Amino acid sequence: MAESTKPILEISELWITFPAYRAEAIHALKGIDLRIDQGEFIGLVGESGSGKTTLARAVMGLVPPPGRVERGRVLFNGRDLSRLDDDARRAVLGRELAMVIANPRAELNPVIPVGRQISNVAYYHLGMRRAETDRLALNMLRAVRIPDPERRFNAYPHELSGGMAQRVAIAMALICSPKLVISDDATSGLDVTVQAQVLDLLQRMVGEKGAAALFITRDIAITAHFCSRIAIIYAGEIVELAETTAFFERPAHPYSIMLLAAFSHSPALRARWTRVPSDGETATTGGCTFAPRCVRRQNRCVVEAPTLRHLTGGRRVRCHFPVESDTA
Amino acid sequence: MLLRYIARRILYVIPQLFGIILVSFLLVKLIPGDPAVMMLGPTASEQSLAALRDKMGYSKPLWQQFTYYIGAVVHGDFGSSWQTTRPVTEDLFQRFPATLELVTFGLLAAIAIGFPLGVAAARLQSGPVRKFAGYYGLLAGAMPDFWLALVLIYVFYTRLGWSAPPLGRIDMAVAPPKTVTGSLVIDSLIAGDVDALSSSFGHLVLPVLTLGIVNAGPILKMTQTTVTRAFSSEFVRYAEMCGLPRRVVLRQAVRAALPAVVTIISVLYGFLIGGAVLVEIVFSWGGAGQYAIQGVLNADVNPVLGFVVFSAVLSLIIYLVVDLIYFALDPRTRG
Repeated sequence: MAESTKPILEISELWITFPAYRAEAIHALKGIDLRIDQGEFIGLVGESGSGKTTLARAVMGLVPPPGRVERGRVLFNGRDLSRLDDDARRAVLGRELAMVIANPRAELNPVIPVGRQISNVAYYHLGMRRAETDRLALNMLRAVRIPDPERRFNAYPHELSGGMAQRVAIAMALICSPKLVISDDATSGLDVTVQAQVLDLLQRMVGEKGAAALFITRDIAITAHFCSRIAIIYAGEIVELAETTAFFERPAHPYSIMLLAAFSHSPALRARWTRVPSDGETATTGGCTFAPRCVRRQNRCVVEAPTLRHLTGGRRVRCHFPVESDTA
Repeated sequence: MLLRYIARRILYVIPQLFGIILVSFLLVKLIPGDPAVMMLGPTASEQSLAALRDKMGYSKPLWQQFTYYIGAVVHGDFGSSWQTTRPVTEDLFQRFPATLELVTFGLLAAIAIGFPLGVAAARLQSGPVRKFAGYYGLLAGAMPDFWLALVLIYVFYTRLGWSAPPLGRIDMAVAPPKTVTGSLVIDSLIAGDVDALSSSFGHLVLPVLTLGIVNAGPILKMTQTTVTRAFSSEFVRYAEMCGLPRRVVLRQAVRAALPAVVTIISVLYGFLIGGAVLVEIVFSWGGAGQYAIQGVLNADVNPVLGFVVFSAVLSLIIYLVVDLIYFALDPRTRG
């Protein structure tokens, strides 16, 4: 089948820059390459400020001003959304490319009942009658396991718990059966137990719709395990990209290991992989951006930036001295 | 639930009114000027002045005068004005509708100018409309209303002769319609009286335009700020991500800004009941504000106090209505 080989999302050499007043421009993304096939789940992991959200916005063609695409491009289903006109882009967003938001109680409209908000997405995209989209929305509320959906349909966002609101956000994202779902730290505001339930639901429902998904997260342990591939992003660069099993077995980049160690219960392990940069120590131009925080850095790291090179088994890592399996 | 809320609010009105009367009573008493001298003239004998003061109770201690006044107010008696020699209640019932008509239509004009301009200014980052809105906000804030009234009269009455003379609410030669609402325009509509309608409407245009142009400033600014904020809010950004059409996103942003706009309108309304007095004077409108000013200037205490109480009650009613509008606009305020 020709269709299965065509990626749903293809990001190539994407540079996004925020000009700064009387200062050097800030590069939020520095040459991101990422491809997502139809129906594939990808995990994108990184800390705050690493460029995850900018990447999500760039995929939607909505780079927050004054940021701009300096180089490279994003093709969603073969089209560059940032080059579409406003109406054409609106027709794609929410319909073929949907976003599951992180903080739905703030991001849902506070003065519109949630059922109506879910229904709206279908109403403006699918050209159905209001009665039909309302019925569709009610079915979505059932599908996301909201108890007493008929009553919740008329509830306002502030009347819902965080977990409930998150389910509403999932219903909104999936009501039009999109081809790609982006989840931007979608469960970060929830209690751990609720988080697991909601993530499970999100993963299952995206799977049922046959959509591809980009799971953006800070929490490598709970999100990434159901993705087929994992990309680690640090300071606007992908530093490691690997199949999930291979990644968890043998993480190669010191930053990946630091992230994994951060979620482990061993203080010794955490301490071994964490380095606090000394005062004023920043990444040198031309050197590796992670060098100041890297426990394994050597002289070469501060003078020469590593490329995202191939390792065995289709893995890629941006490091001069990738970690061998036994050292982790 | 809602009825209980309203009942409780009305109950609170009683202590509020008491406080308002107390403060304004003391303030009015602080104003220099002896009503007895005003009433009997400069040539009156000391004896007759003292007799009149006694008769009006002005020789008693202040607290006795106050309790006497409060006692009368509780029975609906606001005393009489020595200038009009009529009960204050009657005078006010005659004049308040004039003020309310002026202020209400004036504010409607202000909303009609300020709100769309504010929304447009928030939506457009640049361009002539945005510039115009910016200058307008500045100018309207700097323009005294009585001055604008005089300019409008000069241009549209004196020069162009388009508008009715700035004298009162209706032509002397036209019989006013039967009183229903107190607004001459609406009453002539109800009566189906075309002459009265065109005459009263003609008289209303310039003063309403004056109030509209001046008070559109704060409404414009408030609308622009809140709609701008709504545009950068998380839920509008999310609506954009959901690919909702532009007009729907705009409607949601404007809708979110409504409570703030309602607030500024209610503040202006309460303020204008007394604050439109200069415009009333310029157009010889015969409103309540004018009546109160005459009272202050002539040491006529009862009209002043009566006006204060009436406008306080009106303001409290307006704020209650605004709260009810909030409930309708924002589900988060429905406790």
